[in-house]
Order: sequence, then structure tokens, then C-alpha cells
Amino acid sequence: MFLWTVPVAGCGGVQSALDPAGGDAWDLYRLTIVMTVGATLIFVFVTALLLYAVFAPPERRAWLGTRRTIVYGGLAFPIVVLSLLLPYGLVVMRDTDVPQPGALQIEVTGEQYWWRVRYPAEGDQAEFSTANELIVPIGRPITVSVTAADVIHSFWIPNLGGKIDMIPGRINRFNFTAERPGLYRGICAEFCGAQHARMAFDVMVLEPTEFEVWRQSQAQPAQEPAIPHLARGRDLFRAGGCGSCHMVRGTEANGQFGPDLTHVGSRRTIGAGQFPNNVGTLAGWIANVQQIKPGAKMPSYGSLTGEDLRAMAGYLESLK
Amino acid sequence: MTGRRTAQVCLTLGGLIAWAIQFTIIYGVTSTLCGRGWADTALLGMGAVQITILLATLTALAAAAILLIVSLRQERQQRDHPASATDTFLNESGVLINGLSLVVILWHGVPAVILPACA
Ligand code: HEC
Ligand SMILES: [Cu+2]
Repeated sequence: MFLWTVPVAGCGGVQSALDPAGGDAWDLYRLTIVMTVGATLIFVFVTALLLYAVFAPPERRAWLGTRRTIVYGGLAFPIVVLSLLLPYGLVVMRDTDVPQPGALQIEVTGEQYWWRVRYPAEGDQAEFSTANELIVPIGRPITVSVTAADVIHSFWIPNLGGKIDMIPGRINRFNFTAERPGLYRGICAEFCGAQHARMAFDVMVLEPTEFEVWRQSQAQPAQEPAIPHLARGRDLFRAGGCGSCHMVRGTEANGQFGPDLTHVGSRRTIGAGQFPNNVGTLAGWIANVQQIKPGAKMPSYGSLTGEDLRAMAGYLESLK
Repeated sequence: MTGRRTAQVCLTLGGLIAWAIQFTIIYGVTSTLCGRGWADTALLGMGAVQITILLATLTALAAAAILLIVSLRQERQQRDHPASATDTFLNESGVLINGLSLVVILWHGVPAVILPACA
């Protein structure tokens, strides 16, 4: 029992298929356990028989070679086991990832090496874009429509379900319902280039009312800088040409190439789940992207003075 | 190869051939119907894909069952009359292959009753 806890410790947490947080994820988890435990038992049993066949005295092991043993152990047993596993696996396949009426629609595009996220308009709620985070309400079915802008990526939130490929020019759908509030982590599960390993995103499962608050605030344009220091940051952002790649709604920055930064300050992490989001990491990112995420499609702005960098990072951090 | 031997080999491998035909029909028809958007065509309340799989599976099962019965009979006959090593091998393999083909053909039909046609 103690030994068992050693490999299993550390399997819980924000990015683990062994810590399911939704119905589908539970189905997949149970299937995994059944398969793993079953396969282990059979393997141990067969290995024991093998050792017996090798080391037992001939007269005692003779029954192993009889027609009867072969027919029951070698034919009937696998046929029965597989005949049970096949419908079980198919039923899990049928019951997971099923589109539900009234599901919340979210669109995610995989890009080298980040996630473009769009919440289409729904009722009174206006559409908006964000990046590198998926915020969903607990208990409501979600349909994520995924595609890719450049190469094939794969969208995977281990705690909430299986993987779904993101293929340029094609839209795949992934359906799930989150049943436990909290923070989870999604990752790119298909090698997509040099920074594939640094392509993750945060998943936040909120109470429905908290979700509505978040959604409404995200649809708002960016906050005006409240103090001169932040206004200076905004001006530097404008002068630096950041707006040719980044959108900050409510300002003239309307770039479409990189992540929408309208509410970048409200995100938990930056750089596709790589760093906690604060003035220090933002400044480090701007000055050193190519050192910390070489190959990312944003240039390093290494020549900014410390003061300018702090103002710019402060401005971004204030975009809650 | 003599005619007798050819027939014997066909009997031995017959189950596999039935399975191969069922396999080709199931995969070919399902992907064509789903790809062309024809899968919704229904007959007697059953989708075209399900009907195809059902018919292909039942036919292949019947074929494999007949082959199994014939090969069992051959094998029994041969027990009474001593046969050559080749005959024994072919007959016993036939029983095994046709029996297993029966199972595997059945397995290939199972998804049709559980999954939607174009899953
Ligand atoms: C050539 C287009 C381009 C320019 C110009 C550009 N960026 Fe970026 N930026 C990107 C891309 C692409 C990413 C996503 C990189 C990744 O994670 O792989 C990014 C990411 C970011 C992020 C992290 C966002 C997040 O949610 O993870 C910040 C912050 C940022 N840029 C700020 C700036 C600032 C400030 C400037 C101007 C000094 C700037 N960018 C100029 C393309 C650009
Ligand atoms: Cu990727």
C-alpha cells in the first residue's frame, strides 16, 4: 500500500488526467483504471504461469500443455475478456464528448505558440477575444470549436477530457462539462515547433455568477490609465508599434497578429501559461521574449530603458 | 496443387476471407455514406449504415458458421481415418481459423449497435 502511493503521489493537481473534474473525464479515468489494473493482473498471472512452466517438475506442469488448458486459457479467456471490453470502450466513446443543446460556445485557435480565444456573442452578451485562458462556468455544457492558424496543434485539458486535434482549415469540436470549480491547466498535445513545450493555458472553472461578471468585464474596452506613470506606458506602447500586432480595444491598437491585450492584466499568466502575471514578468517578457521563448513570433524590445519598461509593463498590468 | 488441395486450403482460410469481405464492405460503405452525407437515409427505421453493417455481418457470420461446421466434420472424419500431416494441419487450422473468424466478424458488427453511424 505504501509503495503504491509513491508513483501515484503527484498525479493529482491542475494538469492531471488522474484527477478528473468533470463527467467525461471521470469516464475516461475509470476506463484507464480498468484497463491498467486488468492488464496488470493478467500480465502477472501469465508471467507466473510462464515461470511455472519453466521451473516446475515436468509431471506437475504437464497440465499446462493440454488441449483443455489451451482452449480455455488461450482462446476462451481472451475472447470473453475482449468481448466485455469492446462494448465497454464503445459505450464510453459514445457517452463522452457529446454535443449538448444550449452549450456555451467558445472558439480556440492554436497558433505558434499561443492560444487565440474568442467568446462569440450570446444573448445580450457582446463577443470578445482573449488569449491563453479558458474561463468556464461550472455545470454548464461547453462546446469548444478548435482550429489552427499555422500548423497542427492539439488542445488538451487533462482534468476535463480527451485531446482534440487543431487542424488548419478545419474546425473540430470538443464538448465537456466542468463539475468542480478551480484552476486547471491545458496544454498543446501535438508537437508544433520549437516552443511547443511552452504552449499551455489556464482553465478557470467559476460559479455561474462569477463567470457572468468575468464575461461582462472582458467585453468592456480597456481601462484608461489612471495615473501619469501608466499614461506614459500607454504612450510608449503606442510609439513602440505594439499595436500593429496586439489589440487593445478602446485604443487605436488594433493588431490581429498576437494575443488580444485589452484585459491582459486580468490573466493569471503570460506567455501561454509560462510566467505568473505581474509587472516584473511583463517587463521581462517585453525586453527578452527571444531569450525566454526563442522562436516566439514577437521581437524582444531590449533597448527600452528600465523606466520605460516599468511604465509599459505597469500599463499592461493595469489592464484588468 | 490438386483440386482437392485447393478446396481444402479455401476451407481453411474461408473464415478469414469472409471477414475480409465484411471488413471492406463495412468500412467502405460507412465512409462513403458518411462522407457523401447519405447516412441519414433510413429503411424500416434503421439507418443505411446500420443496415449495411447488419447485412454484411449476418452474411459473413453465416458463411463462417458453415465453414466451421464443414471443417469440424472434416476433422472428425480424419480422426477415424489416419491422414497425412498436411491434412491434419489444414483441418485443425481450419477449425481454429473459422471459429476465430466467427468471433472477430461479430466484434466488427458491435460498434454499429452502440455508436452513431458517423461518429
Ligand atoms: C510582430 C508582432 C508583435 C509585436 C510587434 C509585439 N508583439 Fe507582443 N506578442 C506577439 C505574439 C505572437 C505573442 C504571443 C507569443 C507566444 O506566447 O508565443 C505576443 C505576446 C505578448 C504578451 C503576452 C500575452 C499573453 O497573454 O501571454 C505581451 C504582454 C506582449 N506581447 C506585449 C507586447 C508589447 C508591450 C509590445 C510592444 C513593445 C509587443 N508585444 C509587440 C506579437 C507581437
Ligand atoms: Cu502547439
